Amino acid sequence: MSGVTSGPAAYPIHQHVLDNGLRVLVSPDHGAPVVAVNLWYDVGSRDEEPGRTGFAHLFEHVMFQGSANVASGAHIGLLQSAGASVNATTWFDRTNYFETLPVGGLDLALWLEADRMGSLLDALTEDNLNTQREVVKEEKRQRYDNVPYGDVMQRLNSLTFPAEHPYGHTTIGSMADLDAASLADAHTFFRKHYLPNNAVLSVVGDVEVGDALQRVERYFRALRSGEVPAHPAQDPLGPLSGTEREETSADVPAEAVYLAWRLPARGTRAFDALDLFFGVLGHGQTSRLHRSLVRDAEVAESAGAASTGLIGGNSFGYAYARARGGESLAAVEEALVDQVDRLAAEGPTETELRRAKAQYERHWLHELSRVDSRADALGEYATLEGDPELVNTRTAQVEAVTPDDVAAAVTEWFGSDRRATLSYRKAAA
Amino acid sequence: MSTPEQLDPTTWRAAPQPEVAAPGAWSFPEPVVSTLANGIELVCFDLPGQHVVSAHLVLDAPLNGEDPDVEGVATIAARTLDEGTRNHPGEEFAELLETEGAGFGIEVSLSGLQAVLDVPASHLEQAFALFSEAVTQPEISDADVARHVQIRLAQIEQASANSAQLASTAFRESVFDPASRASRMSGGEAASVARVDGAAARRFHAEHLGPAGASLVLAGDFGGTNPHDLAQRWFGDWANDAQVRTPQEQAAPGARRHVVLHRPGAVQADVRYGGFGIDRLDPRWPAASVATYAMGGAFLSRLNAVLREEKGYTYGVRMSLTPLRSAGSFAIGGSFRTDVVADSVRLARELADVSGPEGRPFTAEEVADAVTYTSGISPLRYATADGVADQAAVNRLVGLGDDYVTRNLAELRQVTPEAATEAYTSLVDVGALTLVVVGDADVIADPLRELGFDDLEVVRTEG
Repeated sequence: MSGVTSGPAAYPIHQHVLDNGLRVLVSPDHGAPVVAVNLWYDVGSRDEEPGRTGFAHLFEHVMFQGSANVASGAHIGLLQSAGASVNATTWFDRTNYFETLPVGGLDLALWLEADRMGSLLDALTEDNLNTQREVVKEEKRQRYDNVPYGDVMQRLNSLTFPAEHPYGHTTIGSMADLDAASLADAHTFFRKHYLPNNAVLSVVGDVEVGDALQRVERYFRALRSGEVPAHPAQDPLGPLSGTEREETSADVPAEAVYLAWRLPARGTRAFDALDLFFGVLGHGQTSRLHRSLVRDAEVAESAGAASTGLIGGNSFGYAYARARGGESLAAVEEALVDQVDRLAAEGPTETELRRAKAQYERHWLHELSRVDSRADALGEYATLEGDPELVNTRTAQVEAVTPDDVAAAVTEWFGSDRRATLSYRKAAA
Repeated sequence: MSTPEQLDPTTWRAAPQPEVAAPGAWSFPEPVVSTLANGIELVCFDLPGQHVVSAHLVLDAPLNGEDPDVEGVATIAARTLDEGTRNHPGEEFAELLETEGAGFGIEVSLSGLQAVLDVPASHLEQAFALFSEAVTQPEISDADVARHVQIRLAQIEQASANSAQLASTAFRESVFDPASRASRMSGGEAASVARVDGAAARRFHAEHLGPAGASLVLAGDFGGTNPHDLAQRWFGDWANDAQVRTPQEQAAPGARRHVVLHRPGAVQADVRYGGFGIDRLDPRWPAASVATYAMGGAFLSRLNAVLREEKGYTYGVRMSLTPLRSAGSFAIGGSFRTDVVADSVRLARELADVSGPEGRPFTAEEVADAVTYTSGISPLRYATADGVADQAAVNRLVGLGDDYVTRNLAELRQVTPEAATEAYTSLVDVGALTLVVVGDADVIADPLRELGFDDLEVVRTEG
């Protein structure tokens, strides 16, 4: 029995580069009368200047504040009125903007994206910036500061990377840095990063290739290219050395323990191998951590593990367990460490590895089944790994990972002295 | 330092704003409906190119059929379905299922339970054998039930430590009559969950899960497999003579309440401001949903344009309708910075009042935007197997009819601005709404009282 099925035929991907350097990917899909427009800018929180953490994300909000021909807030307003779902996200390695709508609105979507790429600064005011700064601060409060365990990711980040490392701070940034961001910063950031030759535009849906390219040319060809900025110089780091510990406390309902690892960059066999390893360790009901800590020993109310693939030299991963009532956190940590070390020592069984691959395949097929997430995946692989065709070969790449690959990667990155530990305790009442 | 203008010698000349071409005709896919030997209705969508097949078994087991003493038992029983079966006890079951690349899940809602399977088409047969086992022959062991009870109790604690979840729970408690099952969490409250044991969970399974009233929704690219035969093979022989069917509940409204749940030092407050509402079969539904979108669904809705884009008080504010099978609720909801909570509620109350002396009825433009938005997002939302199956299952679960989406879109297009305003005002009387705020009462209670919420209660829990 094979873990991987005879999958769907490859998705068609037509690649084209405009004279100004904008990379354009068109993938026709006539399944529904809709089109997804997705623009990846090769800028994320790793590109932020010192003292300006959170700026790439604040800037994402600024991008909705209007441009030469578009009023503040009208970008989303016009698109929603055309039946679009619209959004944008910022992450360590990217800022992406996207809309999916009935295909008759393709010109509107392209025009709006081109207008802000060409003339955002014409419309940006101190007032707009200040209001969006407040909105972003509310986003930070709502998603991180006012929820239990909301600061965990930031703490794990700090344990995994040095403060000055491009991945040493989270995308949401700090309140002080958000307060310090100025209009001049916004101008500089836009000019430096928001260039046609620093972006990938994907158009996926009910279009013909020639026609879609013509429309893209019409709206984007007048944009001027610039000098693509280098990402911050950062050599890949080796595994964590030592076993740094941090303890914190807050008003949380259950105590928890987290282990964090530095990992190799995505786009490598070693990362794929470790990603599968994390799946076996902590993804799903049959994972080692769920079985041993939640189901058998019943010391944890939940337990799991995940890896986050990043392109700039290193990625990171973590495992966690949240203590069941009455269990001491030390005992939970011991059980967690025991399982991690055991799996690292003996390696996944053949069945476990096959299962992790089969689960990966389903998630991946599911991801590609929608035109909007397919457009996003094209932009992602073109931007970060230089090749959108990878979306058609990912499952084969992952299927090709051998137990030896896993063992080699684990040996290099997983020694019991190569992780950091965060204990999250209940604050004394 | 240079001024921004000097920094920006732009030569950008945009093309004129393009027109949007009218969307092509679209309708929700029409299923092929057939009946299995035991009466289960198969609702089948053949969707070429959708390689992950989605299956929803919709069971007629409304939560008002739970024994009140052990409310939450439906959730616990459902969560133990994949913890082992008679043929494949313990962990072996989940291992087999996951090795097929399949995902199994359950959905518990007031109107009934769903068991859900997602699986690559090439593994359909093996996965269906296991899917059927989980539903019809689960072990539901004492140990598994005891563990899931503990996990559920921990979840309840986590939820009450989360400001937004606590606000939603408290709002539901106020909006529905305490006698309505809808006033309590679908997964049960702590006291009754703690009383659930293996015998109770097995009894619920034995008495409430059965083929009578059940539908099986299947969507995807079946790759040569005949879906009716597949369904018949694995579900067509299922029988349960002990199955008890409970009539669906008609939810009733609770007493209006204004309350602050105190969270000392909270940097934001979660607000829920709304009342008892309607379901999707109410004749006002299309008009009310248009009005709600204009008030608090669109990005530039009346509420979000002011409270987020103009004032910067919040990351986002929404107004939404939450329909049940019969009746429902509506609420304005958001999380606001502590020092502007009262001003946010004041503005929300003013904006929500469309029929008062300062009120603005809904406009033709707002109605048109709501209709194009809802019509426009439908083809994408229903372009995948799981998108179609999710909706088709809800159609069955709450009795909307298999053609609900297409019918509703047609009805939306008939909504006039007058009808939108009328439906909205029939639901929203700003003087009679329930207000739940979870935040720092020491800072926010007095300013809220000054707005006229004289009967505001403050609840301070220990701990």
